[in-house]
Amino acid sequence: MIRVNDIQKHFGALHVLRGITFEVQKGEAIVIIGPSGSGKSTLLRCINLLVEPDSGQVFIDGVQVNRHGIRHEWVRQQVGMVFQSFNLFTHLTAIDNVTLGLTRVKGMPHDKAVQKARELLARVGLAVKENAYPAELSGGQQQRVAIARALAMDPKAMLFDEPTSALDPEYIREVLDVMTALAREGMTMIVVTHEMGFASNAASRILFMDAGKIVEEGTAEQIFQNPKEDRTRSFVSKILR
Amino acid sequence: MADWRRYLREHWRYFDAALALVVIVGSVAYIYDLLVGSRGLDVAYIVRNYTLYLHAVLTNVYATTIAFLVGMVIGFSVGWLRTARTVALSKFVASMRVEKRERQESPSQSEGARRLLVVLSLLWYGTKYVARRIGDGLVEVIRGTPLYVQILFASSFFIVFLPQYATEGLLIGIIALAINTGGYQAEIFRAGLQTVHSGQIEAARAIGFSRLRAMRHVILPQALRLIIPPLTNEYIGLFKASTFLFVLGVPAEISYIAQHQGFAGDVFEIFAMVTAIFLAITVTLSFVVQALERRFRIPGLGFEQVKRPRGVRIAPAGG
Repeated sequence: MIRVNDIQKHFGALHVLRGITFEVQKGEAIVIIGPSGSGKSTLLRCINLLVEPDSGQVFIDGVQVNRHGIRHEWVRQQVGMVFQSFNLFTHLTAIDNVTLGLTRVKGMPHDKAVQKARELLARVGLAVKENAYPAELSGGQQQRVAIARALAMDPKAMLFDEPTSALDPEYIREVLDVMTALAREGMTMIVVTHEMGFASNAASRILFMDAGKIVEEGTAEQIFQNPKEDRTRSFVSKILR
Repeated sequence: MADWRRYLREHWRYFDAALALVVIVGSVAYIYDLLVGSRGLDVAYIVRNYTLYLHAVLTNVYATTIAFLVGMVIGFSVGWLRTARTVALSKFVASMRVEKRERQESPSQSEGARRLLVVLSLLWYGTKYVARRIGDGLVEVIRGTPLYVQILFASSFFIVFLPQYATEGLLIGIIALAINTGGYQAEIFRAGLQTVHSGQIEAARAIGFSRLRAMRHVILPQALRLIIPPLTNEYIGLFKASTFLFVLGVPAEISYIAQHQGFAGDVFEIFAMVTAIFLAITVTLSFVVQALERRFRIPGLGFEQVKRPRGVRIAPAGG
């Protein structure tokens, strides 16, 4: 489904990604963990080409997408993305946030888009908030609208960049529930998160990243209970406490 | 001793306002005495001529509005250009390297087509680079020189290079004003565009918007709301600046008429009328704009912050 082959990325003198290779099967949900600055966010952004890798290949459904002749806009419609800071369009209501991409990118008629947006908002449990502006929603609600906005484009896969780390604890649950439901429904997902509960319940594999490399890969049990690498062990012991 | 000091400190703004009032009233009275003195206010002149001035100010409104709209186009373009931190030469070089490598890996296209592509992208980057420098220059020159000089410069430009239009004072004036306000509006637009959070652009691009369409549907709607107050300010400033058109001899325009009528006396009456007309227009405008702002206000956008959304804390940037 998604295959990443030997990706390198520099930001100036900073070598952020040092040869990342992995593959995600269709319907699989994987979790990426790792210390701050290890390149997790950059890796996600390389997959939907918000950041262009210096070298290496990104394949989506067997098609190499980071090459000349493939429009980035098309690639980004294939993979939805959810951000740490939600990034809902401030000037639009919840429902308009969801319909904007449908009408303006996909060219869907407005009434159809509204209908679809209503369904999606209902799916994330926010049918009653469709006319609220982002500033009038709680963090958890904003993030759920953001998930609905990404789902509206009918993506083949979803990328989550620390979707709960900007939230107060009492709002984390509702977002994770939506994500778990998505994983159960068979959505292909790559999630950067430190929510161990989610990793154990929903993730088929966990990748541990450090200093721009994948250090270790395994199931939740392997990574959390008996990691092979020292770096993994020390990181896991810190986040499990 | 300390009592009156404390009293003064606590009630200073009242004294301040009172002092300002005294100064304003005093200076108006002084000017009135100087210009009118014992001859008395010539009410008859005002009654006879106020329509002349009202009519004349329409020319100013016209010139200002046209110049302002043209200035918005200039301002938006230059402002947007100036939001790019650098038109990165390094990025261009990097993309050329990628291109070269791909050519070596898969020499599918003909050498000629490759060459053409390289030349075209070089041209595109070159144009962007030069446009950016011209934009920077425009802003610096416009805000660094007096408007009066700019208008005279425009006039001399026409006399030298386009003498057939040299007598079209209004046209020259509008062009000069448009370029002037374009320079100032470039900075207003730049500030507005840069105020919109970068996450908004990222989110728009993540659902498949191109740069241009993200600008149209996400950035501009927010930026425009944010820059309504400074744009109003700029319009009012330009409206007042339009009186400089008298330099070019535009007979229909208010300051031209005021000057010429002033030779016959009644200077204070003319002063008073022009002041009243300008005040009436600018105050009305600012009320209209305030109403507009209320109409288009969105919770959480700009100055009128609503309460901090619940459940959000400032998070460190993720790795």
